[in-house]
Amino acid sequence: MLDKVMIALKSIGKNKNRNFLTMLGIIIGITSVICILAIGDGFTSVETKGLQDHNTKNRVTLAFTPSSDDDTTSGFTRNDLSVLEGIKGVDHVKLTSSNPEASVTVQHQTKKASANLNKIPKKLKLSEGFGSTLDADDTSNIFISKDLADKIFKDKALNKRLVINDNVFVVSGVYKIGDFNYRPDIYVSKTTFKQLFASQISQDEAKIYVQSSASKKVVGKSALNEMKKFGEDDKLGKYEVSHPDQITKSFTKTLNNITYFVAFVAGISLLIAGIGVMNVMYITVSERRKEIGIRRAFGATSGDIRNQFLIESIILCVIGGLIGIALGYGLVSIINHFLPFKAVVTAYAIIMSLSVSTAVGLIFGFIPSNKAAKSSLVGLLKEE
Amino acid sequence: MLKVNDIGKKYGKFVALENIDLEVADGEFLAIMGPSGSGKSTLINILGLLDQNYTGEYLLKEKSYKDANDNYLSKIRGDQLGFVFQNFKLLTTYSVYENIEIPLIYSKQKQTNKRELVESVIKQVGLEGKEKNLPSELSGGQQQRVAIARAIVNRPNLIIADEPTGALDSKTSKEIMNIFTDLNESGTTIIMVTHDSEVADYAMRTVFIRDGRLYNNEKSVKR
Repeated sequence: MLDKVMIALKSIGKNKNRNFLTMLGIIIGITSVICILAIGDGFTSVETKGLQDHNTKNRVTLAFTPSSDDDTTSGFTRNDLSVLEGIKGVDHVKLTSSNPEASVTVQHQTKKASANLNKIPKKLKLSEGFGSTLDADDTSNIFISKDLADKIFKDKALNKRLVINDNVFVVSGVYKIGDFNYRPDIYVSKTTFKQLFASQISQDEAKIYVQSSASKKVVGKSALNEMKKFGEDDKLGKYEVSHPDQITKSFTKTLNNITYFVAFVAGISLLIAGIGVMNVMYITVSERRKEIGIRRAFGATSGDIRNQFLIESIILCVIGGLIGIALGYGLVSIINHFLPFKAVVTAYAIIMSLSVSTAVGLIFGFIPSNKAAKSSLVGLLKEE
Repeated sequence: MLKVNDIGKKYGKFVALENIDLEVADGEFLAIMGPSGSGKSTLINILGLLDQNYTGEYLLKEKSYKDANDNYLSKIRGDQLGFVFQNFKLLTTYSVYENIEIPLIYSKQKQTNKRELVESVIKQVGLEGKEKNLPSELSGGQQQRVAIARAIVNRPNLIIADEPTGALDSKTSKEIMNIFTDLNESGTTIIMVTHDSEVADYAMRTVFIRDGRLYNNEKSVKR
């Protein structure tokens, strides 16, 4: 076996250019396979995590959708909260926001603009200014986006004053927003956010925690009815029980369609690659008729010859597969900069890719290898 | 060693061999002479179990392999026979060592001392120090020595040589024939095809073949 692997490597090494071109199809095919699987796996893990988050056994979420897009303040009120908590079977209710950003008006000298604002994340990369975050109780400094800075300030924004809803702040950092990322226009410290802006955010989600003895479905239904009857903002929008699984389901469907398409492309690529492998194996077999004759005369069975060429075909494909895996890995880390979730190359994907390449080598190498094995010995020995 | 009774072979209407009777004893060195196209190569292809498509009976070590399957024939070729060809038939991208090693790769017997075996035959044919060379770096005579080493590395009972000196000058031919003589003296049976009577003189016995028929007008033993 080791002998045959060495023979195969030697033969592949002898025709590097030809074999590399043959591998190209495999490389492209396997790279695509790795990327599809990585994105799929990454999404699935995010989705399942999200579902665990969303669909805790004893929780039902009631959502409020305002009828006007500009309406960012209506939602569930304090009174609504007590109505909901009064429903039979409800343990407690938490009001949250699906969009935790505040809409504000900013002004510098005579220039005015509207902007979104949120509390600072743990770490932020600044393009101008120092540091990567604001102290929790910093009530004077803010970071703003490059876009907003360009809109409001004629020249440098750094260390200039900015008025937000009648409060004065100092711009101590500017950050850029990547093409595929979302960030609000302004970041303030946690304390500032809590004191000045938290109240402006509409509480459009009510997370209703249900007692273990009650049914989620029944509680959800009666909560909906109660809100339709007593909800203070009922006229400004619509209440409904939210089904996070439905959202992910439709996203999964889209992703699946993309996956099928890319898989189709990968499949075609591997098919063409396979035909290339078959072609190159035919060439190899006819170039090496003399060698086959010699080996047969000195004791090689037709099975030995077939295996030798099959091994060569498989090794060719597996080398292509390994290069494809490496490239796919690289591509996935590039893609990850643009994805809202993290695509991961799993061991399963690698095993899958290697199996696919082995299969391509085996399937498309078989006919040429068989041809080599079945050639007439006397004819082979006449070759020079 | 082998016995041939009334062997014949046709290619369509063309009769390549007809009524061939031949017996070769253990330890014999037989030369088969004849002009080109006379059927010499066809005959030794049958004797070497390379061609099973013939009429008549051929017994190697009193056994017929006419109905043997391909795998079994390969095993017999690997274990009992060794071939030397006119154009050496070495693998050009393989070193001397790797060429000689080929029969050992396919031998079903456990070969724990492969390297020793290869090195001993390299010494036997006088190619020490050339193990790593490619055939293209060797002279014609040296290449044929490699081919002989490959033929004997499995210690076969019978060596079949098809025009072993056909591509060599007379001085080199003598060296090669001396190796064959030594092999024969150490007990190996040799059947050699040649059209050179000087080369045939190294054999114990010569038979002639013409138009597919064998003439047993033996020129007898000198050595």
